[in-house]
Amino acid sequence: MHGNQTRREWLLRTTSIATGACLAGSRLSGAAAAPTAPVAVARCRGYDAELLPVLSRMFDQLGGLGRIVKGKTVAIKINLTGMPSYRVGYLPLGDTHYTNPQVIAATVHLMGKAGARRIRLLESPWSTADSVEEYLLQADWEPRDILSAAPNVEFENTNWLGSGKKYSRLVVPFGGYIFPAFDLNHSYEDCDVFVSLAKMKEHATAGITLSMKNCFGITPATIYGNGAGIDEPSDVPKGGRILIHMGYRQPSKSAPSEKDPASPRQDGYRVPRVVVDLVSARPIDLAIVEGVKTITGGEGPWIRGVAPANPGIIAAGTNPVTIDAVCMALMGYDPLADRGKPPFETCDSTLRLAEDAGIGTRDLSRIEVVGTPVKEAVFDFAAIRRKRRL
Amino acid sequence: MRWPFEWRDPSALDLLTGASINCLLMESDAEFGAVIARARQEGINVVQAGTPTAGVTVVEGEWPGVKLTESGALDHAAAGPTGVPWIDSNGWKVRLASALNPGSQVWVIAAPRKPRLSAESYVMAVADAAAHGGRWIISLDSQLAEGIAARRPEALERWKKLTGAAGYFAARKDWSGYVPEAVIGIISDFTGRNEFMSHEILNLVARTNQQYRVIVKTAFSGSSLDGLRAVLYTDDEAPEPGLRKRILKFVEAGGMLITGPKWGDLPGAPVDGGQHPRYSLRACGKGRLAVARPDFEDPYIVANDSIVLISHRYELLRFWNGGAVGSYFAMAPDRKRGVVQMLFYAFILGDNRPTVRVAGQYKTARLWTFDQPTPRNLEMEIQEDAVELHLPPVRGYAAAELEV
Repeated sequence: MHGNQTRREWLLRTTSIATGACLAGSRLSGAAAAPTAPVAVARCRGYDAELLPVLSRMFDQLGGLGRIVKGKTVAIKINLTGMPSYRVGYLPLGDTHYTNPQVIAATVHLMGKAGARRIRLLESPWSTADSVEEYLLQADWEPRDILSAAPNVEFENTNWLGSGKKYSRLVVPFGGYIFPAFDLNHSYEDCDVFVSLAKMKEHATAGITLSMKNCFGITPATIYGNGAGIDEPSDVPKGGRILIHMGYRQPSKSAPSEKDPASPRQDGYRVPRVVVDLVSARPIDLAIVEGVKTITGGEGPWIRGVAPANPGIIAAGTNPVTIDAVCMALMGYDPLADRGKPPFETCDSTLRLAEDAGIGTRDLSRIEVVGTPVKEAVFDFAAIRRKRRL
Repeated sequence: MRWPFEWRDPSALDLLTGASINCLLMESDAEFGAVIARARQEGINVVQAGTPTAGVTVVEGEWPGVKLTESGALDHAAAGPTGVPWIDSNGWKVRLASALNPGSQVWVIAAPRKPRLSAESYVMAVADAAAHGGRWIISLDSQLAEGIAARRPEALERWKKLTGAAGYFAARKDWSGYVPEAVIGIISDFTGRNEFMSHEILNLVARTNQQYRVIVKTAFSGSSLDGLRAVLYTDDEAPEPGLRKRILKFVEAGGMLITGPKWGDLPGAPVDGGQHPRYSLRACGKGRLAVARPDFEDPYIVANDSIVLISHRYELLRFWNGGAVGSYFAMAPDRKRGVVQMLFYAFILGDNRPTVRVAGQYKTARLWTFDQPTPRNLEMEIQEDAVELHLPPVRGYAAAELEV
């Protein structure tokens, strides 16, 4: 294959050439100029009484929630990846791979207290147009606990058209790595503030899943899913998003298609780029990554060998790249790592691509950490990964 | 048991000792005269295959298990529209036959089918029918029958497991007197032009693990809707006025009716914000009406919609890590004991640890499986209105016996 190269080597080389060509001399070569923003870090051992004051203090350290949400419609993307009928062992989903419901409720409560006009909780649950509330019930959560945490709170399933009249087209300002624009549920446009409330985890395809990768799920499966309509969006979502992972077909023709259908059809190339395209099209105003309890070794119970872990960490910030960089450091990884280095052994670094796109810096020397210093809060996912791979 | 063609020697009857087999179906009297004579001497009932048996309803079933693709490869399951594996189960057929023929025993004819001929598949055939109150007419594939006749150890081991499963259910006849718990009632005449839709809805509602009640129109009584949260009226034509009135009374009292558009004008008013891609929702008294628009087309969608229309909040059983699981939840008539019978059709659970949430309050839970003669106490997490039972890895079948 390709002279003396293995397919893997060829893909790696193709990827780096493609990336280099894309970036050379372009507006994307702006790592040094990428913006920075402080990141608040805190230890939090559990989801009980300790949680609310910890979150409140972190938001204060960032300048207060009021300046971000007062009088605004806030959309919060939570992480409910995979079907709610699968657990890691007997553990509740919020203690392993879903954003914990107490963290969601506490965040909603503090936002309500800070004057948010309306709070809409968003997720694209696996392969269904049913309400998010019904999805949560299957996870054994009580949606009323979250809905009553502040005034004017609602859920919306963004895996389809939902309560909107039409899909919203959001353009990728820098032109996009894979997609120039996306057609999304109206909730991603009809908000003043967009929040990514993510779980701290590793990811089989993207290396890590933090505030940026959480936004992979904002794409409606009616357009970008396995069962997406060919010409128009399907009525209801069916299946996952292998379409985006592998690029075996284009999204529904009603939505913008890929810029270059000849680009690599490799998920380790595509997923990080699509994530950056998405967070550029729908900028994140506030990112919260919750690693109080989580799993190591992957993003959900379907990944062989995942194990529960209690890092006891929360991080928050207003720039998704700086917060993801700090979270990588908290996980024992080097945020400057590129493809080939852990946790990006088989994929490109979403952080590198986001930095190149000018979204934010991943250079820890340029990021102010407030609250608990990183070295005092590290939970070494990287060491567990090394041990697992021995 | 359907007597195997390969078992011509009356000594084969020795295999039935202690095996809870009390009736033999013979293909031909002439060829098995000696076997028949000895069987009758031993008090075993002998019936010619195809001949009606008093007090017994026989249903044509499927060889139960995860449906495989055309290739027949054991690791390639056929899947439904959202990737959930299709399961062939006779449970709903047993339940329907029982409702259509009250007081009758239900026997299931289902011949073994390649490639699923493992010991687990035979045990599943027994359990799938028996858990729902029926009995599978034991039928052996010719290779197994020959192996048993030749007393080959591997074949005898499979026979032992199969008859062990049959014996397990025979020892728990009281469970078949338990009353099925239900959230939803499926109302139909289950015949004629309504047969396909009503039967498929029963099949697929069962697959969702919603606990259901079969309500035959002609046997509708004042207690048919007792304790239900919803009724799903599947028939193509509207009900006769008396039945319509009773169902609407159930709705006004807080129940839900899920039906097609043939009911014509309905009382109540549209529900504010009650958006659903396939149903018009109306409030009526304390309850709600969900009228399909257009009419029911795909029973898979109808079955799955019904759970959400009622709400997962009210489901009686909820599984995690169950894989391709089927279930049947029944309570003793005095409601002091309950049993949740669970069928894990995929067999291979690896180190997956299933959890089942059972609605209600219970003091203790014990787990019964075929491989342990005594029950194990189950780890139980008590919630406000339910208990979560943490099961060990289970192959095939398990029953959780609950004490209120």
